Amino acid sequence: MHTKRMAMTKWNEQRAARADRISAGQAYADGKMVPAGRLTEFFETVIRSGDRVCIEGDNQKQADLLAKALANVAPERIHDLHMVQSGVVLPEHLDLFDKGIARRLDFSYSGPQSARIARMLFGGQIELGAVHTYLELFARYFIDLTPNVALIAAVSADREGNLYTGPNTEDTPTVVEATSFKDGLVIAQVGEIVDRVPRVDIPGDLVHFVVDAKAPFYVEPLFTRDPAAVTETQILTAMLAIKGLYAPYGVKRLNHGIGFSTAAIELLLPTYGEALGLRGKICSHFALNPHPTLIPAIEAGWVEQIHCFGSEVGMEDYVAARSDVFFTGPDGSLRSNRAFCQTAGLYACDMFIGSTLQIDLAGHSSTVTTSRIAGFGGAPNMGSDPHGRRHPSAPWLQAGAEADSTSPAPLRRGRKLVVQIGETFGDKNVPLFVEQLDALALAQKLGLDLAPVMVYGDDVTHIVTEEGIANLLLCRTVDEREQAIRGVAGYTDIGRQRDRKMVERLRERRIIQRPEDLGINPLDADRSLLAARSIKDLMLASGGLYKPPSRFRNW
Amino acid sequence: MTALPHHNASTSWFEATARQRLAALLDHKSFAEFLGPEQRETSPHLGLFDLPRQFDDGIVVGRARLDNRPIFVAAQEGRFMGGAFGEVHGAKLTGLLRAAGIHRQDVVLLFDTGGVRLQEANAGELAISEIIRAIVEARIAGCSVIGLIGGRAGCYGGGGIIAGCCSHLIVSEQGRISVSGPEVIETNRGVEEFDSRDRAFVWRTMGGKHRYLIGGADDFVNDNADGFRAATIAALAKRQPLTTSVLEAEQKRLANRLDRFGQAQDGIDVWTALGITDPVGLPGSATEAFLEQALDKRENANGAR
Repeated sequence: MHTKRMAMTKWNEQRAARADRISAGQAYADGKMVPAGRLTEFFETVIRSGDRVCIEGDNQKQADLLAKALANVAPERIHDLHMVQSGVVLPEHLDLFDKGIARRLDFSYSGPQSARIARMLFGGQIELGAVHTYLELFARYFIDLTPNVALIAAVSADREGNLYTGPNTEDTPTVVEATSFKDGLVIAQVGEIVDRVPRVDIPGDLVHFVVDAKAPFYVEPLFTRDPAAVTETQILTAMLAIKGLYAPYGVKRLNHGIGFSTAAIELLLPTYGEALGLRGKICSHFALNPHPTLIPAIEAGWVEQIHCFGSEVGMEDYVAARSDVFFTGPDGSLRSNRAFCQTAGLYACDMFIGSTLQIDLAGHSSTVTTSRIAGFGGAPNMGSDPHGRRHPSAPWLQAGAEADSTSPAPLRRGRKLVVQIGETFGDKNVPLFVEQLDALALAQKLGLDLAPVMVYGDDVTHIVTEEGIANLLLCRTVDEREQAIRGVAGYTDIGRQRDRKMVERLRERRIIQRPEDLGINPLDADRSLLAARSIKDLMLASGGLYKPPSRFRNW
Repeated sequence: MTALPHHNASTSWFEATARQRLAALLDHKSFAEFLGPEQRETSPHLGLFDLPRQFDDGIVVGRARLDNRPIFVAAQEGRFMGGAFGEVHGAKLTGLLRAAGIHRQDVVLLFDTGGVRLQEANAGELAISEIIRAIVEARIAGCSVIGLIGGRAGCYGGGGIIAGCCSHLIVSEQGRISVSGPEVIETNRGVEEFDSRDRAFVWRTMGGKHRYLIGGADDFVNDNADGFRAATIAALAKRQPLTTSVLEAEQKRLANRLDRFGQAQDGIDVWTALGITDPVGLPGSATEAFLEQALDKRENANGAR
């Protein structure tokens, strides 16, 4: 390639190619506006076989209209596309591979399509590049996976193509930056065309075509947890986390996972946390989506600042009315940004706490089962110790000192607290602790170089279950680490095979802490401790600003 | 040790256990349990399926006083197998109702049930029939049988039919009354017929407000023991034995209801037909505002049931 370029001394072929595509697209467009009815023919004109294509979509918003239209192009005209996108979430994302339109895939998250994607990978319909974390895939957009075409979604556009993304900005700036500044083509679907957008999230000169979908893009309310479903065991684990981790480390800057255990923590802050006198001492700064379950803590004055990956359905008005807490634009509504928030979660937070499906004896954890590939999303970025971090903070230094008691303090790395929280038996009584992760069997079945591990054992610092807290930072040998994990694994097979004497010694060294060691009576773990016990309570706590989606309302 | 800020257990009927509901509903320390958990009368079937049993089989029955009036009372525990009817569970309720008929005692039933327990379906279905017969006999004997509905599991399946045989029903917003549950309807008739995941729709068709508006319940109360207690005391003061004319009136009422609303696709259609001013905003309205709206618009079961 390099020698060819030297011989022909052509340095602007990509720009010329984009200009060609834009002019070919004019056959269907009025200025930048492409009618929705002609999208498929339009795609057949501006997209080329072999292109790297990003259909915008993650675990929240989706460029659904553009995804459907792309899945309808004729495979004899467009084929061998290389899809490079955060989310494989809509059926159409995989229809592309079934129909022979796309061949290769690099992605990050596949939630609802996790079973089908596993079948298609196994059946050979998809040639897999890799499963990434969000931040990793975004990084590769700028190095070796730059899209030739990006199909993105926004709330509204003006005639020049300036885009308003509303609260769900999410991945859009990152995708557009990588595509448009590297001579790729950017095509946006919008809910409406307006004379003047409420704020410019994406400048029009980076956007080449706009389609009026006449309807909002699809958004999944993925971060809404109904307090009515929080169990007493989850409340107990939440009490252990607050009193046994948040308080002693003084964790102020953090990220919470998506599960019910962390929702329980959020709902206990204004009650249990308040009773422990922790307001102002913990949980003041978050990298977090606007979780409805955080409303009572925000209202009680716990939270100073939250930066968001995306928005959450129904939280728009509440967020807009709490601009001291959230990042908002001149139009008043939330500005989210996944890439920045992932970076914030990685480098500026002292703790990640989240749930998982399986933990092995080394502390590796995974949400993969043998028949599903759900991808990683952002959790591995949150749940890892960033070796590039250089600024100190009390929790980071304390964790570092626990991990390494011998190095001189000025030369000792701090450690991010990476906490796995869960019930020893999860949904349908499936044990959380396993001898071997299903991810290994899957990797073998698909011939992957790497097993899809969500959080590596060497990044995990604590495991919290209803039986207690295991502090892995304080373990000095592989054996101690294994027994610390067995020591909180309850009545699972892993837990019952513990070395009782060693577990007792670990408890004396406070590597394992039981509820009673922390002054917690399990009988106090009652639903009446929750600051809100239903979605309606959350709505009332928000003063009516939170508008729960229909599927969460029991009234 | 820090004093923990627990809510009072009686603040939410929906949240409370069967025993917490009884404690908050009845006169202080007036409850005497029949066949309590210490008797260990557990299900003879669940063990076959390697399922956990409960010493009271998910129902608490006994005698008590309510505003100093003697009553028989039963409370289902929705947290144990969704409050479902099994052999022992059903037999305890049947026995209580038969005793009520014999001793001329009014009965208060605290429903919280998904219907018959699948693992002991035959015994459960038989129990439903026996319970219905016992209710009818008690009512013919002059007893009131009052149903309270506001628990997590709602009042579904055979429970919904039993509720239909009561002389008086009290419901909260959270309460749901129906025979087939949302998932069952969706499975059998398709998501176009009934989207069980749309919970607001579930409540618009089966929820407390809707049932009250179409005369499917007689009182609508706040989600707390005080609300249920006051309404139960008031209901106990009325007396309406089951007679042929009451049954005929009930038949006529239900025929009229079908006539008037049979074509409606959604609760909102029914409320519009009733003349509710803001049918779309109705689910969000607070109790007082809702009762005011409903006052002269709702269908009621006066003279029937």
